Amino acid sequence: MGFLDSIMGKTRLPEAKTDRLFAISTAAVTMEANLGLVPDGQAGLCIKPMESSYYESAKKEIEDLLSLSFQETGTLHTIQKDEYGYIWVVLTDPDFEDLVTNIQMICQILIEQGFGTQLLAAVYRFKGEAAVYWIYSFKLGSYYPFAPKSGKQRDTAMEFRLRSTMQRELPIEKDMAKWYPMWGMPL
Amino acid sequence: MIRWKVDRGLEARMLLTMFLLAVIYLAFLAVLISQGVNNMIIIIFMGGFMLFQYYYSDKMILSNMGARIVSEREAPELHQIVSRLCAIADLPMPRIAIVNSSMPNAFATGRNQKNAVVAVTTGIMQKLDHSELEAVLAHELTHIKNRDMMVMTIATFLSSVAQLMVRYLPFMGGSGGRNRDSGGSFIVIFVVSLLVWILSFILIQALSRYREFAADRGAAIITGQPSNLMSALMKISGFQVPTEDLRKVEGPVKALFIVPALSRSSIMNLFSTHPSLEARIEALERIEQGLVS
Repeated sequence: MGFLDSIMGKTRLPEAKTDRLFAISTAAVTMEANLGLVPDGQAGLCIKPMESSYYESAKKEIEDLLSLSFQETGTLHTIQKDEYGYIWVVLTDPDFEDLVTNIQMICQILIEQGFGTQLLAAVYRFKGEAAVYWIYSFKLGSYYPFAPKSGKQRDTAMEFRLRSTMQRELPIEKDMAKWYPMWGMPL
Repeated sequence: MIRWKVDRGLEARMLLTMFLLAVIYLAFLAVLISQGVNNMIIIIFMGGFMLFQYYYSDKMILSNMGARIVSEREAPELHQIVSRLCAIADLPMPRIAIVNSSMPNAFATGRNQKNAVVAVTTGIMQKLDHSELEAVLAHELTHIKNRDMMVMTIATFLSSVAQLMVRYLPFMGGSGGRNRDSGGSFIVIFVVSLLVWILSFILIQALSRYREFAADRGAAIITGQPSNLMSALMKISGFQVPTEDLRKVEGPVKALFIVPALSRSSIMNLFSTHPSLEARIEALERIEQGLVS
């Protein structure tokens, strides 16, 4: 948001930054080799809610596009709302590359449709002893790790390990005060 | 087996600092001797004092901090963690003390490995989980293993003498002027002492920071998990990864309350005994990366 916009009180949401989203595709190999964490076959896209009529048409549009383009890769998808009212597109596919490509594609479509500012986060789930997530924030344009424990606690040590091992491959958010968790994700 | 890389850079910096300190101290002693034996009284006095302090450091620090030695029955978990770490690090079991304070902190003291004490506050035990506490204790045990108490006592000895000179020489010089010549030597000693004090102070602080890095490193090696110490350090310094959900904070006012939690300042670093949190975490990250690649 420019300075002029702010003093004029114009609210303009920052456009989604997708340029570094793709970095996760190669990171999966290192995750497995160094940490023993493998992709869990699920990824999600979190979209900020829009006005209901808008949402319905957008949802239908996404649904159509998804079922069309997913015939090739065999990716399964669901669209649902969470407790905060956010929309989730959850993809299920054992092939990690397909997940990454499809998430990327949905983002592209949404941005083309003018929903770019509504994109909040893309989430990739990995499994080891416990599930860990890489959250890509479209506002920050970077990834950060999220290792939830029971009772809304975070396994900070695990998140540090994820950061130090993946630092060379993933664009990781430097300011840890922005590593906001996402509790109770539908994936 | 995992091969731990030796941190040559850290070793070199530590050696250089100790070498420079030795040079300064030797020069200081040379000046003192050339200016008359009178000053030797101060050195002997200070030596006795430091020896006393060193010998009774554990008791003095413990009573200063209000720490209480606890038996195995009173704190079974602490004893269990420490005894396991000692077995790994090949150390005799130290005594364990608890300080009743909500400030999260831990320290080690004692003149040698046999007389060592490791103390933790009740605050740190509440704040950290088991593996983080283990990392902090491993850091303190490394201080004992590296004989930091002895190293720092020796390093600060002549610096304390110089400090004493600067403080009390003006009074002693004024009253004890037996001959006219003593005025000249008084100024020389005063200026040299002041210089030695300032320079050695900066070097000692640097040495202390390197010993901290070394202790962090030791903790990483003993526990095998640098990430636990990173997480513990962050928690102790009062920083925590947010627990508020991203979808809750997503709004136009969020920029107002997000303050940068970490900041770097290099001038202040010269005068602190501990390295900055950021530098310590960076060093630990390098160890972690060395572990996997």
